[in-house]
Amino acid sequence: MTLVLGIETSCDETGVGLVEDGVLLGDALSSSMLEHVRFGGVVPEIAARAHVQAIVPAVHEALAKAGATLADVGAIAVTAGPGLATALHVGVAAAKAYATALSVPLYAVHHLAGHAAADTLVHGPLPAKSVVLIVSGGHTSLLLVGDLVADPIVHLSDTVDDAAGEAFDKVARVLGLPYPGGPAIDAAAASGNASAVAFPRPLTGRNDPPLGFSFSGLKTAVARHVETLARAGAPVPVADIAASFQEAVADTLIRKAIAACRLHEVGTLVIVGGVAANSRVRALAQERCAAGGLELRVPPPRLCTDNGAMIAAIGDLLVRAKAAPATLTVPVRPSVQLRWADLEHPPQEL
Amino acid sequence: MTMGPRWRPPARTDIRIVEADRGDAGPRVELPTATDTRALGRALGEVLHAGDLIILGGPLGAGKTALTQGIGDGLGVTTGVVSPTFVIARVHLEGRIPLVHVDAYRLGGLGELDDLDLDVSQDESVTVIEWGAGMAEALSDAYLRIDLARADDSDVRTAVLDAHGGDWAARVAEALRARHV
Repeated sequence: MTLVLGIETSCDETGVGLVEDGVLLGDALSSSMLEHVRFGGVVPEIAARAHVQAIVPAVHEALAKAGATLADVGAIAVTAGPGLATALHVGVAAAKAYATALSVPLYAVHHLAGHAAADTLVHGPLPAKSVVLIVSGGHTSLLLVGDLVADPIVHLSDTVDDAAGEAFDKVARVLGLPYPGGPAIDAAAASGNASAVAFPRPLTGRNDPPLGFSFSGLKTAVARHVETLARAGAPVPVADIAASFQEAVADTLIRKAIAACRLHEVGTLVIVGGVAANSRVRALAQERCAAGGLELRVPPPRLCTDNGAMIAAIGDLLVRAKAAPATLTVPVRPSVQLRWADLEHPPQEL
Repeated sequence: MTMGPRWRPPARTDIRIVEADRGDAGPRVELPTATDTRALGRALGEVLHAGDLIILGGPLGAGKTALTQGIGDGLGVTTGVVSPTFVIARVHLEGRIPLVHVDAYRLGGLGELDDLDLDVSQDESVTVIEWGAGMAEALSDAYLRIDLARADDSDVRTAVLDAHGGDWAARVAEALRARHV
């Protein structure tokens, strides 16, 4: 058995995880999120500098939790893309250094495949086929997933404009709520009436693509609603607007995810990404999956957001599938599309 | 109405409550639908050269990304042009000229644009910068500034095309003529 060290630095979280044979043995997470608050979002240079400071302590912390030492590490897996280039460089450089120093194989993996793998650490291997909804600040995607490392990952749909998490951040700006917008809107919505404002459910019309996502128009509808009230000198009911907006996002996401399961005759829905931590998204998914006879798998919040354990999980699958390791010249690929979990040596297309 | 956090207006110009009444700096175009916004972008995309800089202004939801989607169309970009907010910049290499699409909302200065380590240089690409007003002008002597605005109570947008230097004024006129054909 091989202990795999996973490294994730694609955005503002420095994540390290240690996985062996599908079991998470230790992990560590260092976030530079607080340093980005005053900018209303992640600033690449700040994130990259924070990764440089955090990466080695995070590796040591994860090893300590696992009761292991560097000498026990048998392989390294690292997020090589997509993400912020300057941030990715830090993790990839660290991974190459560890792989060289320890003389162990290196795997360059796709960030989104890591998200899909995160759930296997708590709920065991995925079934033969599942639909994965990845919903975060940078992504809103539906994937059709089989064997995570042997089969191609089929990208069913992506947002055509803003990601759902981005809409949360921008609506938070409009409502005068802090960054990051997701938790702020979730908290504000708790005391609000979700049917106070009938915000649109984007791309749910008869002629719209059944699995397509678009959140730009919804964001604008909220901005317009707030402006109209503000211009009239009326009070802006932040809680009601937050709850109504959150309901529109959750309703749209879950509707489309269930439609994808039906369309592809899949019985399991996996939801991951930062927005999967949203209380209304989770509740609505539970309610509708139960009603529709679908198995719902949502990892705990700390595995929903970016982390190193999910990258170690993919690395572990690659090691066990006897995949060829990456060379030490493997580049970062900030805007790589998702087709295979392994970015350096994808299996040959049939 | 339920009680909740008290609303305080956002610090930046994320929304428009009052529009500053400054005279138009260039041609003003009415854009009744998002399709019209994209059509304007496409007409502009067809007259662009390598090295061009376009700076987009306007509040959230004014159509900055939609206009850039049209510019991408006009350049022959086939992959989806989506919001660059999360990654700060997206590079589209498959068109007639590379398209660099930037959201400068979180950039502290122009140095940070270099730090993004983009795959192409400004000279060999078309650079479109959202939220770049007041900062991106220094990137080039000649640039096109487009300010987008939303109407109060309808989906109608307006775009003011403000040509600075070079042959921008002539090319804007050419694009606007093409748009009406």
